Amino acid sequence: MIPGLVQILLWQGAGELVSHFFLPHIPGPVVGLVMLMCYLVVRDRVPDSMAVVSDAFSQHLGLLFVPAATGVILFLPQLRQHAWAVVLALLGSVILTIAVTALVLKFAGPGADGE
Amino acid sequence: MVNKRLPIQEIWVYLSGSPLLALILTLTAYQIGHVLYMRSQRNPLVNPVAIAVLLVAVCLEVLDMPYAKYFEGAQFVHFLLGTATVSLAIPIYRGLSGLKGRVFPLLLALVAGGLTSIISAVGIAHWLGADQAILGAMVSKSVTAPIAMGVAERLGYSPTLTAVFAVITGILGAILARFVLNGLGMKAWWQRGFAIGVAAHGLGTSRAFSVHPEAGTYASLAMGLHGILGAVAIPMLAGYIPTF
Repeated sequence: MIPGLVQILLWQGAGELVSHFFLPHIPGPVVGLVMLMCYLVVRDRVPDSMAVVSDAFSQHLGLLFVPAATGVILFLPQLRQHAWAVVLALLGSVILTIAVTALVLKFAGPGADGE
Repeated sequence: MVNKRLPIQEIWVYLSGSPLLALILTLTAYQIGHVLYMRSQRNPLVNPVAIAVLLVAVCLEVLDMPYAKYFEGAQFVHFLLGTATVSLAIPIYRGLSGLKGRVFPLLLALVAGGLTSIISAVGIAHWLGADQAILGAMVSKSVTAPIAMGVAERLGYSPTLTAVFAVITGILGAILARFVLNGLGMKAWWQRGFAIGVAAHGLGTSRAFSVHPEAGTYASLAMGLHGILGAVAIPMLAGYIPTF
């Protein structure tokens, strides 16, 4: 597990550097993600130690945004004031996004006949 | 003076000064949320993040602890978001094999879905009179939360509201996807999975995995690609979006 974590941290560091010097509008971790993905494609396999770390993270990804999301308490008055706008925007948007994505797939692709 | 026992307040002052309290609060609250989620057979309504946020918020209120002070300790958890983002490369890599022969429709659907999510969310919220902070946070809410927050931070939108909207979007998507997709007569698992992944990122993906493995693989591919696309394209589009 540790070798995997070290490697992922190094990719994160490399991503931060590239982002800082060359791609200032893309967050460093995303640059790291893309570089790591290219590395995996070249290597053609995921090292076990890295897979362990990644599975642990994806299983409990939610935990990591609890501290930031709790900041919602600072926005409560604002959210209450615009409650309808927020609820309807989120609801409408998620339904439309699912529908549009699905319909494009249905009419744009091979194998659209389904199973 | 002869009194050797530590008054409760002193213990309290000591504890609340260290990151430990915030970390205990965060992890315990999440643990409770996770146990409830598992007990409910992974019902999307019983979302562990939403429960954890509620519990932490109530604790902060009861303890009279300012949010800034809580975050000082909890930032150690928060920091790992970046590392978790990098590690998303692994599920995306695993899903890449699913692209075979379907690159064109999948990418087209991804771009269409991504644009729809931004335009519809910002459009509806603006139409109903939401303010600038809320509109900004709507922009990246369909992108997976760790990436969405990074993007929001760079663009000067609130990462907090973005995270909250992203979590709510995930919950709504996980619940509603089935009805929308059935209503449209979508049958292929890969198409259903991909649509859920584009719209409702992590929560939608875990929902898709619980329904069918093929749907799950495509959902996680969609979530990852949407994350990358969002991080690259949203900053470029941002100049055009909230000019209301």
